[in-house]
Amino acid sequence: MNELQMLNISKSFDEVTVLNGVNFHVKQGEVHALLGMNGAGKSTLMKILAGDFPPDGGTIMIDGKQYTFSFPLDAKKAGIGLVAQEVDTALFPALSVCENIIANEIVETKTSPFLSWNKQKQRAKELLRQVGLEININKLVHECSLHEKQLILLAKVLFSSAKYIILDEPTAPLSTAETKRLFQIIHQLKAKGVSFIYISHKLGEIKEICDRVTILRDGKVVHRSPISDITIDEMIEHMLGRTYQSAKKEKRTLGETIAFEVKNLLIPKTKTTVNLQIRKGEIVGIAGLVGAGKTELAHSLFGLEKTSGQWWINGKEYTISSPIEAIEAGIAYIPEERRKQGLFMNESVEKNLTVRLLSSLTNFQWIHRQKEEKLALSLIESLKVRPSLPKITVKHLSGGNQQKVVIGKWFSTNSEVFIFDEPTKGIDVNAKAEIFSIIQSLAKQGKAILYLTNEFQELLDIADTIHVMVDGELVKTFSAEEATHEKLVYYSSGGETLWHKLPS
Amino acid sequence: MAQTAVIKKEKKQKISLLQILYKHGTLLAILAVITYFSITIEQFFTYENFSDILRSISIVTLVAIGITFSLIVDGFDLSVGSTVSLSTIASAAALVLYRQEILVTLLVPILLGIAVGLLNSLLIVKLKLPDLLATLAMMYIINGIQLTYTKGFSIYNDMPLPEGGIAPGKFIPSFLFIGQGEWLGVPFSVLLMLFLVFVSHIFLTYTKPGRLFYMTGENREAARLSGIPVNRYRTYAYVISSLFAAIAGIVLASRIGTGQVSAGAPLLMDGVAAAFIGVSVFGIGKPNVIGTLFGSILIGVLLNGLTMMNVPYYAQDIIKGGILIGALALSHIQKK
Repeated sequence: MNELQMLNISKSFDEVTVLNGVNFHVKQGEVHALLGMNGAGKSTLMKILAGDFPPDGGTIMIDGKQYTFSFPLDAKKAGIGLVAQEVDTALFPALSVCENIIANEIVETKTSPFLSWNKQKQRAKELLRQVGLEININKLVHECSLHEKQLILLAKVLFSSAKYIILDEPTAPLSTAETKRLFQIIHQLKAKGVSFIYISHKLGEIKEICDRVTILRDGKVVHRSPISDITIDEMIEHMLGRTYQSAKKEKRTLGETIAFEVKNLLIPKTKTTVNLQIRKGEIVGIAGLVGAGKTELAHSLFGLEKTSGQWWINGKEYTISSPIEAIEAGIAYIPEERRKQGLFMNESVEKNLTVRLLSSLTNFQWIHRQKEEKLALSLIESLKVRPSLPKITVKHLSGGNQQKVVIGKWFSTNSEVFIFDEPTKGIDVNAKAEIFSIIQSLAKQGKAILYLTNEFQELLDIADTIHVMVDGELVKTFSAEEATHEKLVYYSSGGETLWHKLPS
Repeated sequence: MAQTAVIKKEKKQKISLLQILYKHGTLLAILAVITYFSITIEQFFTYENFSDILRSISIVTLVAIGITFSLIVDGFDLSVGSTVSLSTIASAAALVLYRQEILVTLLVPILLGIAVGLLNSLLIVKLKLPDLLATLAMMYIINGIQLTYTKGFSIYNDMPLPEGGIAPGKFIPSFLFIGQGEWLGVPFSVLLMLFLVFVSHIFLTYTKPGRLFYMTGENREAARLSGIPVNRYRTYAYVISSLFAAIAGIVLASRIGTGQVSAGAPLLMDGVAAAFIGVSVFGIGKPNVIGTLFGSILIGVLLNGLTMMNVPYYAQDIIKGGILIGALALSHIQKK
């Protein structure tokens, strides 16, 4: 029987069980959807299948034969192909289209150091025709569009005669027309007996293209059926589970004073415009999947991108074209990549905390060290940074404490608007709660808070208003009372804009 | 139980020994070298010789302080050697060819140095060229300029001019005092070096701009997002780097009393070595001026001793390179 079977797969990292006895079957010539929220175990399962690391337990059977994959190459040889979400990481930008497609061949050929270029080029052309891409095969990959790169990667996977192809969020960078074209190609390849494992957050697409679906939650398979037997609502229900109890949120009454408003803000990447209002003391959430344009929005607001728009802060208009101007206008930005963008890793906690406040600590440019230490200590105290030593190097702190330092940098500044970009990324539950209480205390002081994340539950826990962002646009707005996890998932996966209408 | 405790203790001691080595390796190396030469060479451990060593390193140290500034903002400046040459020629030309007094003689090379620094930062900060390659190109250009200007000949007192006659001016005593004079028995150039080391150290450690130089170099992206005008600080750093090279060129011209062409070229490698050795001094792990001073002391002591032992100058380069590698390895291990 021609089938891919992953049987009873288990995997733990540092005593955290990520996969717990997962069974996963893909028949020949089908498109099989693999669904789950962040952390459900999808990527771990696929990484095991692609040979990135071995499972702790369980077996992989392909067409009746058992395999153990120690290296990605083993998986490739067994017929597994991976079209990664980040296509750029899987291609060589400085090489031609043809060279990229046959790269594996070059690596694996052990018999002869010589290549028959004509023969290889012929095959590469044939494969590109199969994936429906008309392109000069001598073009360099870095000159290709994102869509072309994706198809090149698909051709590359087909070149190594993959029979089971993993597509990880394949449509994230594509326009609607390009998505349709990709689906045609998938249909054609399917007819030839190629199987696809299709990972996507866009549930409308799943309904459209997939034959069967497997849904993971907390490392277990919770649902498996033909796609026709399940509605989008049921998919969301299975992905979320029904057990989650939302944290009690403090009831707060907000005034009507608008603290921050931005009009017609251009987001260069998607060429869309955004209008946004935040009241004094309000926490406004932006819910969006990875790639929805949240970080681009934050960058535009903070003057990191060439953009246009009008900013209003406490009734005063500003134009902002650089971080310095944004900071002077009263905007603070807590970036997504805290190590890369937020911290001076080899400097002390104290120096990190006071970098914005040096003007208040200096006399003729001379830094008052005692004053600095006192200020740092008081910040450490109010942020509960542990260990509470001002001289310790930031790189020795845990992720959560590092994040507190990033936020603390803006604490006693005159900032009125705080933009948080995925502030809880990679930090544990306790630290998360502490970060939340810091954000809430800022709101209580009357600051305007913008909170961007793809962890929707966090917004339900903390935000007063939630906007859903898709492809650089705010498509839907909820008040805290109206919002549910289901609705956020539904709208952020492009539920309404793509193929389906909202169920009543 | 007792045994494991002993093993643990030994392990702990081993770690702290390694740490001591990382932290004070450079100082220990200086002490070891001095001790070795003092024992093997008779005239080494004398006041005259040490004053000589300090005098000889004063110029390298000035160049190295400049390099330290460029390293602090995570940049690199290869053009300093050529800038020293340019400044040497400029001050000699002002004195000998144009009969200028001390003020102009000092001002011309300093302005030229600032111009080179601005040009470097234009290439690196504005045009975003890689620092190493941009300053490499500048190194060739500046070297070419000073050679073209002099047609390859050095400038000296009473030199014959191509159009006939001899040069009108000469190296005046007030200028020669910079490199050859003494003050309370200490060479003036050494005092100048110590003064500039002190000022730079205070500036970098205790002032707001100094702090922001380090922040810019430590994480440029985070610095920008924290509202630090990073490009301005990078520009300052390259200007300061060239400025120190220009000062070094003045001292060099004054010390040798002629405007020797390409005289600054060998100072680049020594300066780079001193600055990188400085990174490892005291286990700081960051470029710093005090460390740089110790770095050039180490190089100066070594070269002095090796010369006294009649090791030829070309073989000394091998040792210099070896020390640089050692210092780099030491600071790299620290970073990990």
